[in-house]
Amino acid sequence: MGNGIIVTKNLSKIYGETKALQKANITIQRGDWTSIIGPSGSGKTTLLNMISCLDTATSGSVIVNGTNVSSLNQVKLTRFRRDNIGLIFQQYHLIPYLTALENVMMAQYYHSIVVEQDAREALENVGMGHRFDHIPSHLSGGEQQRVCIARALINDPKILLADEPTGNLDQKNGKIVLDLIKRLNDEGHTVVLVTHNPDISKKGNRIIELVDGKVTKVNVKNS
Amino acid sequence: MFMSILGKSFSRRKGKIAIAIIAVIMGAAIPSAMFTVSLDISEKVSYEFRKYGANLILVPKSDTIQVGFPGVEFGAVTEQNMINESDLWKIKTISWRNNVLGFAPSLYQVVKSGEGTNEQRMVLVGTYFNKEVEILKPYSPDDKKIFKTGIKSISPWWEIDGDWIEDPNDNTGSLVGINVAQKLGLKLGNTFTIRYSEVPDDTANETEYVLRVLGIINTDGYEDNQIIVNLQVAQNLTNRPNEVHTVQVSALCNACPVDVFAAEIEEKIPNIDAKTVKQLVSAEMSVLNKVEDMMMLVTVVALLASALGVSTTMTTSVIERQKEIGLMKSIGAENKRIASLFMTEAGLVGLVGGLLGYGIGLLLAQIVGISVFDSTVSPRLSVLPLVLAISIGMTLLASSLPVRRAMKIEPVIVLRGE
Repeated sequence: MGNGIIVTKNLSKIYGETKALQKANITIQRGDWTSIIGPSGSGKTTLLNMISCLDTATSGSVIVNGTNVSSLNQVKLTRFRRDNIGLIFQQYHLIPYLTALENVMMAQYYHSIVVEQDAREALENVGMGHRFDHIPSHLSGGEQQRVCIARALINDPKILLADEPTGNLDQKNGKIVLDLIKRLNDEGHTVVLVTHNPDISKKGNRIIELVDGKVTKVNVKNS
Repeated sequence: MFMSILGKSFSRRKGKIAIAIIAVIMGAAIPSAMFTVSLDISEKVSYEFRKYGANLILVPKSDTIQVGFPGVEFGAVTEQNMINESDLWKIKTISWRNNVLGFAPSLYQVVKSGEGTNEQRMVLVGTYFNKEVEILKPYSPDDKKIFKTGIKSISPWWEIDGDWIEDPNDNTGSLVGINVAQKLGLKLGNTFTIRYSEVPDDTANETEYVLRVLGIINTDGYEDNQIIVNLQVAQNLTNRPNEVHTVQVSALCNACPVDVFAAEIEEKIPNIDAKTVKQLVSAEMSVLNKVEDMMMLVTVVALLASALGVSTTMTTSVIERQKEIGLMKSIGAENKRIASLFMTEAGLVGLVGGLLGYGIGLLLAQIVGISVFDSTVSPRLSVLPLVLAISIGMTLLASSLPVRRAMKIEPVIVLRGE
């Protein structure tokens, strides 16, 4: 348990009178695909946001890759996130006026230096080699999600966090994206994927179930 | 990458950027016009004031002797001293010499004209009209050695029916005041005789002199009762070579107190008092100060309005781009990167607005110059860096609050669509 790449201890998040997450204790092993499943409002996105250093806990701690991120200030959290975590959003969140290539390069720019060739390779790696110069509005949902994944991968993070990555996609594009995530997991990336879809959650080798902000079940699939 | 984000962000929000630039133009054009006019206005106002006469009068120092018995004072006897005409060139050798627009000496003498019951007493004034004065020892080797001066340059507002005396060697030409012309029945081109005696009413030793009327003066002032001739005519008639009673000096005093002129002239020419025409000088200074205060007020109001416009536009821009800012932060952009993006945008808006505002300000300055002073205003390139500094500074300052707002944006909130 103690060797997990992500470990939360008594992690709680309270918004006013709403207890979004209550004393969650989870451990995610390096190289695992962990699915967090639960109904709407169960606290799964809240948990993901705290693991990804986008949000801070009301109490408890989060240890990511050996660092207790709960003790970091905003600047250090930002630096830690860009060095260790790749984010995949349900809404893709691409900059609308930048091309697919530039969206990927932007993540390089905020991380360190821009190497266009690496950005091209990242897009080719997700099957978007033919869409470098297209702006997001000229791409399908599946294509935008793949650009989002390329952007998440460009700085070679150890952990990929995906929040409902197929939520806005049709079945065909959803499969493409999930296959891509599976491939990345097979290549060694630790994947944490939030979903409300039981079928998708089963892609992972570990399933954490949340209900009303509490971890109710942890299923480990035997490989 | 930074330039790509900046360029595309600009081109995508052309309308908003144009509004911000227009706000800056409004803010920059006013100071540009005001500074341009202000640099010119002091000179122009001073020239306007110079039309109303000299602002310095040089008089000889007088020796005053108290008379009476011990304990009983009868008053004072004043000895009349004179100024040497040969010292007058020194007026143009003070450090503020370039601001000396002109000077004109005056030698006064009461003379008689007309016969019998029609005999009139009047003041004859000898002066320079358009005299070339040689500067014997110029202040700087670059200074001109000849200075053309006279009553014509310091009192250009005189209304003259006829002509000025243009020839400094004209020994018969005269300008007569309108009252003198009426009393003696003189018209343009007439000749008349004046009589002078060293001792008043010593008719036996009177010297007669014939003058010709070149012009009739109407100033509504004391000149209307005078006969004005070339200085040498008065000096020869009264046997006072090289002597003058007073000297009127017209000095351009926009950047310097006229008292400084007076003190410098007193240093150069011995035994004189240089007296400032206080009313004229204080009126001039007061007008200049008020004009400058008004310009400053207009400039401040324009800049505040402009800053408000820029701030509103930038705030709208930040609100519209919250999601983009949140995303940038989520993928690793630190606050300083976000701030530098917005501040660079603001700086460019300030630069472009400032440049255009400077140009429009020059046009405004011309309109002010032509409508108020009947002359164009010279463009001053030195105003450009000042206007750019003001417009960029104002834009950055006005953007600081919206940028602070951008820095406070929490990615987790905007990314989940709140």
